[in-house]
Amino acid sequence: MKPMSLIDKRTLLRTWLPLLALMATFVFAPSSAPACDLEKKVRKYELENGLVVLLLERHVNPTVSFYIRHRVGALEEGEGLTGTAHLLEHMLFKGTKTIGTKDYRREKKVLDEIRKTGNALDLERLKGEQADKKTVERLSAELRELQTRAKGLMVDNEIDRLYTENGAVDLNASTGQDLTTYHVSLPANKVELWARIESDRMENTVFREFYSERDVVNEERRQTVESVPKRKLMELFLATAFKAHPYRRPIIGWPSDVSSLPIDYVERFFKTYHAPNNTVIAVVGDIDPAATLKVVKKYFGAIGRAPLPPLRVTTEPPQAGERRVELLADANPYLLIGYHKPALPAFDDYVFDVIDALLTRGRTSRLYRALVEERGLAESIDTANGFPGSKYPNLFVFMAAPRHPHTAKELEDAIYEEIEKLKREPVTARELEKVLNQFRADLVRDLDSNRGLASKLSYYEAIAGDFRYITGHLQVVESIRPEDIMKTARTYLTSENRTVATVVRKEKP
Amino acid sequence: MSAGRLFFIFLIAVLLLPPGDGNGAPPLPDPQKLKYPALTFSPPEPQRVELENGMVLYVLEDRELPVVNISAVIRTGSAYDPEGREGLADLTARVMRTGGTRSMTGDEVDNLLEFTAATLSLSAGTDAATADFFVLKKDFDRVFGVFADILMAPAFNEKKLELAKNLKIEELRRIADVPQKLAFREFRKVLYSGNPRGRLSTVESIGRIEREDLEGFHRRFFSPRNVMMAVSGDIDGREIVEKFRRHFGSWRGDGPVRDVPPPGEKLSASIHYLQKEGPQSTIIIGFLAPEKKSDDFYPFTLLDFIVGSGGFRSRIFSEIRSNLGLAYSAGSYYEGRTGYGVFGSYAITKSDATGRVFARLQEILKDVTRRRVGEEELLWAKRSIVNSFIFSFSSTDMIATQQMMIEFLGLPPGYLRDYRGRIEAVPPEDLLRVAVRYLRGDRATVLIVGDEKNFDRPLSSFGDVRKIEAK
Repeated sequence: MKPMSLIDKRTLLRTWLPLLALMATFVFAPSSAPACDLEKKVRKYELENGLVVLLLERHVNPTVSFYIRHRVGALEEGEGLTGTAHLLEHMLFKGTKTIGTKDYRREKKVLDEIRKTGNALDLERLKGEQADKKTVERLSAELRELQTRAKGLMVDNEIDRLYTENGAVDLNASTGQDLTTYHVSLPANKVELWARIESDRMENTVFREFYSERDVVNEERRQTVESVPKRKLMELFLATAFKAHPYRRPIIGWPSDVSSLPIDYVERFFKTYHAPNNTVIAVVGDIDPAATLKVVKKYFGAIGRAPLPPLRVTTEPPQAGERRVELLADANPYLLIGYHKPALPAFDDYVFDVIDALLTRGRTSRLYRALVEERGLAESIDTANGFPGSKYPNLFVFMAAPRHPHTAKELEDAIYEEIEKLKREPVTARELEKVLNQFRADLVRDLDSNRGLASKLSYYEAIAGDFRYITGHLQVVESIRPEDIMKTARTYLTSENRTVATVVRKEKP
Repeated sequence: MSAGRLFFIFLIAVLLLPPGDGNGAPPLPDPQKLKYPALTFSPPEPQRVELENGMVLYVLEDRELPVVNISAVIRTGSAYDPEGREGLADLTARVMRTGGTRSMTGDEVDNLLEFTAATLSLSAGTDAATADFFVLKKDFDRVFGVFADILMAPAFNEKKLELAKNLKIEELRRIADVPQKLAFREFRKVLYSGNPRGRLSTVESIGRIEREDLEGFHRRFFSPRNVMMAVSGDIDGREIVEKFRRHFGSWRGDGPVRDVPPPGEKLSASIHYLQKEGPQSTIIIGFLAPEKKSDDFYPFTLLDFIVGSGGFRSRIFSEIRSNLGLAYSAGSYYEGRTGYGVFGSYAITKSDATGRVFARLQEILKDVTRRRVGEEELLWAKRSIVNSFIFSFSSTDMIATQQMMIEFLGLPPGYLRDYRGRIEAVPPEDLLRVAVRYLRGDRATVLIVGDEKNFDRPLSSFGDVRKIEAK
């Protein structure tokens, strides 16, 4: 299962392309021999406050990668409050009571006034047509004046400055449906700096520049969704495939929700879900585990547990009939097809990992060979297992761009032909062996990166409850027989269980 | 030519830390005052070998994992595309990879590579092409010959060429579906206008390219003196050199090709406008900048960091995103290449803020040509660059490839050893000097992609505007 990678906090030029892609997936690497080794090398601790810490030594060069994952995402947001988890992630770069302020006591007074004024302004604006224009103008002017005062008492982007100055790379964060993640890599002698900053912002984040950050998120939305038809299609597609479960909602939030997100709600969300007992940390690289654990305990150990409210998540009722949706846009046609399926660790989820590789991994994959090479119908074709999240039953998705003059319909039909083949004919032993070889090689390859390891260990610990899911994966996959693939395909890849979304060219008037 | 000694010691942080401002709350230490142990690291040194036919090879053993990585760099690229055949370098690289070799069809190559989970990619950039090869050690001998044949004796199967052309044409048709992609591509054309680097492929130019063009292009550029390789991983140095000799030893061809002349200096400013419907505008202001070998490379690297590439604290990001809330993406980039360099600053903002953001970008750029950068800001940029330098050595493959690139680009052998020292030694007046020299407002190339009817002010209020069409 490939977790969706979400919405990045910052975009520098190099990260544009990955951001523009539908999802930057990391291909998960299962395996046997080196993996067992991995299982022994990872040290796992749980602090008294419930914080789970995974440590892995790798002395290739003096650097360390850090991942912090909170088990909270867009899933936990209330109705009318979509975008909360993601805006909160942006707020965690705004500093703390001791980082990013010139005089916190004075600053706090101004921030409290900003909060009062901002709330009043939001409430007035929410009246829509009935809003009193004069009140809106007065409050807006007051807010601007307060913001200018607050500016004078804060130190701009101090967390980023501290990290950058100390040699940090890959400083970023992401918000998903299931998880919120903060990660960074540092020279190996800077472990304490990381612990100092992260433990502080986990507990003492100050909501500076809240209202202008909402505007930034609106720009993010215009840039990454509204301007890019296939991204906008994805939003429409998920809202169609899911009718009841929260996976139907966009992580970045619906525009009207984001524009009026209340600061108090976002802060409560932070206090509730960024608790140590809801958090997994992975540290991989040139570390002394005992010393690192000591630093982690010193800084994170004092953060108090918080009771996690019971999460009431609506179960998506079984789909009983195909759903279709289209988006008119000034763009070339694009196609999404999705099928509901169970979440990990269900056996079928493993089977879908194999189906994913069979269908679209590499030039020899079935769909690439048939649709791109032989029939020339597609410019690109890809599949993903575990969309838009992994924790709850999710989708297996096909994403395809037809090649002019071929239409989305031709491509769609051709994909169904391949799906039927999957149901009808057993996969050959050699084809299955190829996929297993690829999974085995992935694991070896992935061992070459501190960052990749930290990401994976923390991801599966947070999602599957145990990082050893990684090491067990290949064993399960190796047990999959051709009949299993046929059975899974027949069960889930059916017309009544599918949702189809297409970009259709808007005719110019 | 020797690669030079790579041994040097990382000793950072401790000496560079300034006194804190004494503002931290009692329970938590001031992050500015934390003490760090010294960091020492001697990167392993790859061995340089020159085969009898002139091919240069860097070799680095690393037994951590049972894998082998090879990176190759070739002196070619889209800058060498013949006029009217734009896209030839790109297609040559693509079809070398897919079109088979003297002994195998393209499908057979794919079957073998994917069954052994080896990966081989080949791509052409502007001034160089690269090939990257990964294979598990146990499969090396089975697959290495394929890698060698793809570079030396590709078959350029007609059907695979047809497919590559069709896919490329579809890719071109789809560029405008992602406005930022369109904007940066068009920007290259206007910044490099009059130079081969500004001629990009079109549906027509791709249509004209034939198999003989690919064969000729391959013959001209893929030859032992025009290619360098770096091999690393679970290998024995002497053995691997023998294997390279066996596979590549008989390769012949002409000597290294000459560089394409750098883009000509801009003598005037220009504002280009490309109409595209949508909720946002992409604004790019660019300049030709110092080449990598120039002494100005170091001060300009710092200048770019401060102006827009140094994360949240850099001036463009801090002003346009944090202060104004008018962009999600805003910043700058700089790349020093051989013979020239390129600098661009950009912001993506809602249509009705286009004029305002464009004006702010211009002011930020103008400011660095008028006022010296503050001591503290410069120190921050220096520390950031020096402290993160260690990440240039994140893997053995990276270390070997880097040594190869230093020779390929004609940089001095001590380039890596001296890099941090040269950054640290830049005086503040040098930033002002390079800003005045390279960021002249009267030589700026501007491109705005958006929908002018929704702009907050007409572009004509900024000067003469040339309307362009995407092709």
